[in-house]
Amino acid sequence: MTDLEYFKLSKPEKMLRSVGGFFARLPKGIWNGIKKLGLFIAAIVKGIGTNLADLVTTFKNGDWKTRLSYLIMGFGSCARGQWGRGILFFLFQTVFNMYMFFPNAQFSGCYYLGKLSTLGTIETYKEGRRTVYGDNSFFILLYGVLTLFFIAAFIYTWRMNIKQNRISEQLLKNGHKLKTTKDDVASLMDEQFHKTMLALPTLGVTIFTILPILFMILVAFTNFDATHQPPSKLFTWVGWDNFNQLLSTDTASYGDTFRHVLLWTLIWAFFATFLNYFLGMLVAIMINKKGIKLKKMWRTILVMTIAIPQFVSLLYVSKMFAADGLINTYLMKWGWISSPLPFWTDPTWARVTIIVINVWIGIPYLMLIATGILMNIPADLYESARIDGANAFQMYKKITLPYMLFVTGPYLLTSFTGNINNFNVIFLLSQGKPLSLQLSGNAGHTDLLITWLYKMTVNDTNYKLAAVMGILVFVVTAVINLIVYNMIPSVKNEEDFQ
Amino acid sequence: MKKLLAILLCAAMLLGMVSLASAEGYSGDLKIWVAEAVVDFTKEQVEAFKTAHPEYAGMNVTVEAVGEGDAASKVITDVTAAADLFGFAQDQLARLVTAGALEEVEPGNAEIVKAENDAGAVGAVTLGEKMYAYPLTSDNGYFLYYDKSVVSDPSDLDAILADCEKAGKSFYFEINSGWYQTAFFFGAGCQLTFDTDNDGNLVKMNSTYASEEGVKALKAMIKLSKSPAFMNGSSFSTATNPGAIVDGTWDSTAAKDAFGDNYAAAKLPTVDGWQLGGFGGFKMLGVKPQEDEAKLGACDALAAYLSSEEVQMARYNAVGWGPSNMKVQKSDAVQADVALAALAEQLQYTIPQGQYPGEYWSLATGLGDDIIAKKYDDLDDAGLMDVLKTFEATCEGYLTK
Repeated sequence: MTDLEYFKLSKPEKMLRSVGGFFARLPKGIWNGIKKLGLFIAAIVKGIGTNLADLVTTFKNGDWKTRLSYLIMGFGSCARGQWGRGILFFLFQTVFNMYMFFPNAQFSGCYYLGKLSTLGTIETYKEGRRTVYGDNSFFILLYGVLTLFFIAAFIYTWRMNIKQNRISEQLLKNGHKLKTTKDDVASLMDEQFHKTMLALPTLGVTIFTILPILFMILVAFTNFDATHQPPSKLFTWVGWDNFNQLLSTDTASYGDTFRHVLLWTLIWAFFATFLNYFLGMLVAIMINKKGIKLKKMWRTILVMTIAIPQFVSLLYVSKMFAADGLINTYLMKWGWISSPLPFWTDPTWARVTIIVINVWIGIPYLMLIATGILMNIPADLYESARIDGANAFQMYKKITLPYMLFVTGPYLLTSFTGNINNFNVIFLLSQGKPLSLQLSGNAGHTDLLITWLYKMTVNDTNYKLAAVMGILVFVVTAVINLIVYNMIPSVKNEEDFQ
Repeated sequence: MKKLLAILLCAAMLLGMVSLASAEGYSGDLKIWVAEAVVDFTKEQVEAFKTAHPEYAGMNVTVEAVGEGDAASKVITDVTAAADLFGFAQDQLARLVTAGALEEVEPGNAEIVKAENDAGAVGAVTLGEKMYAYPLTSDNGYFLYYDKSVVSDPSDLDAILADCEKAGKSFYFEINSGWYQTAFFFGAGCQLTFDTDNDGNLVKMNSTYASEEGVKALKAMIKLSKSPAFMNGSSFSTATNPGAIVDGTWDSTAAKDAFGDNYAAAKLPTVDGWQLGGFGGFKMLGVKPQEDEAKLGACDALAAYLSSEEVQMARYNAVGWGPSNMKVQKSDAVQADVALAALAEQLQYTIPQGQYPGEYWSLATGLGDDIIAKKYDDLDDAGLMDVLKTFEATCEGYLTK
């Protein structure tokens, strides 16, 4: 199909084509993905191969200093006068060895590594009335993973140590001088400054972000729950059982509840994002309009909702809508209703109430953002539109909305993701209630995945399922983000508003 | 050679000291978690304990406020950092035992506890044949607080509702709680209990919810939920305009403040002639498993002391907690307490609350929420029976496999 033919199509046909195109490209995309993965694996295998080959040739061709460095890290560097590097290498090796072979077996890396496959076998027992704790599965898993990280770091450093020997040897052979420790330090402050700056953050991210995430992912494959609670009880690996329990539809599983909660999570995220977006924009446009008086006052009133902490306002509003709250009491007093409206007790009512209340707290933010952007739209665009005879709605559709979407596209995406994980609003308003016999695992009709996860960890100490849920929340948000990211105008038509 | 001898002698002395210490008391740290209301009281009693037992006088005891509802979760989450003694409500017992977070009661103390406390309390601290905690109170039950100027006849549910409707007041009953809900089911003649083995695992369910009586109870709840005066709730702090409320002794001060001179309390009302039942509940003190025998001895002694007759009496006088000790229950002061008297009257229609799976409570909330959301309003008896059958089957699914 040529461009000309494409432009002749009607709107729905164009849309159909682009959706169809997505699915037509899908098999090829998947195939490409597999191919890339294959190439990636091949590259890794090849990388290992070359590294091994290099290790062998370096050993064969190297002098005795280099060869001894295979055993004692940093020996070569020291022997060639690069004391700083050599000592650092040696220190690292010493620390590593001390950690791995610590005399008190309970604290050594080898101990944790050895138990990692079972997560502990020694049960807690009693000696008279005294309690003697056995293996602690939690620490075994945590330090086991840490040990793996440490080993990987060690292998990398060891390899680096040998590479340095080879390079130094080469340089000396060619008559160059080696860098002294002083040169090294100077270089870390100069051309290698990025390494100095990034060392601490990288270490921090590894220990405080990557390690916990990995730990949590691994917990999803164990039976760590209320009845397998360290230090008194052991837990162990169970493979994919937890995923099965959360997703399958057997009576004892959470499959139906999970789908129910997931669907509501998506519905909620959709409304919470787009309803707020359009209503906020509308309010901003209204306040921005020429001829509206007391603009500042209107804005201030709206911004007041931001000024009051959500913990206060939401808890208060939640109480206001209760069966014996302000709203129901007054409606009944005035004789408008005979029995309280089921704001929090009926599933559908509760969901609508939550979305509406969220509009109330969400509009001010959007209004602030939109006000700034609206003022930025060149006035001559509107002027020429008016000369051409466009009405207000046409101008909104053709000028305001495209401009807004272009600028706020990424914001929309992040706020959608944020709403999927919008713990505060749901938990402060309804705590996920009402519950129902149709839902299992303590989940309620207004529970999001994230609030359900919270209940699982805090109320039921069901860490294994909570971990699985954490992974699934990530999958859901990642998939949605990837699809939507490629669709937003800010990415697609980068030049439009330059 | 001399050196070696010296070392040996030193070692022998040290060993001697260690063994002495275990026989002679304990002087390290010890942490206690109790509810906010009794922190000061507990501190005073710990001092009294130290005076009475000089071998523990050197002990460094810290008392922290952790509510009975949170204690179990906090202990289970991190046993190592948890308090050595902690107060909790008996519905948490099985959970704590299965997590290995409770030490058995020292056999000598167990005999005393058995002899001095009421049967319900003793049953509540026992799993299988083992006793796991020291009973502190037997006042964790609910009954009716009412406003004398509003409710004329507190003995019949329909009459209470009619009075409240007439006066424009509300009647609070938390039917979406697994705890309050049993008032209807047990009152109608149903049964729901779980048998546990010695390790706290739930091994068998005894339930007659899916029966004519169950349907009767469910219908009564549905009828109650339809009354305009009905409000779901059980706390004075959140109740607006209550005429009557089903609540426990912990709210007696709030009840007196709210109703003033019209403050009154009674057993739960009857529904169509049958008496509402429910749970009798207990607060207890648990000891965390200890790696140090001397410390365990100190914990045992202190727990026994804090649950003894004198301290229960003092606790009633200080904060008004209803005692589980039978002698204290018979004392004049306790006998004259309006709320405790109403509770005592109600307790004869209740069963001591045993062990329930954690999931039971949310399941019961689900059932209550469904009633309030009017999901069952149009169901006939067969339909209601199906609901109860599902409830029962789900409950059975919670047993330890």
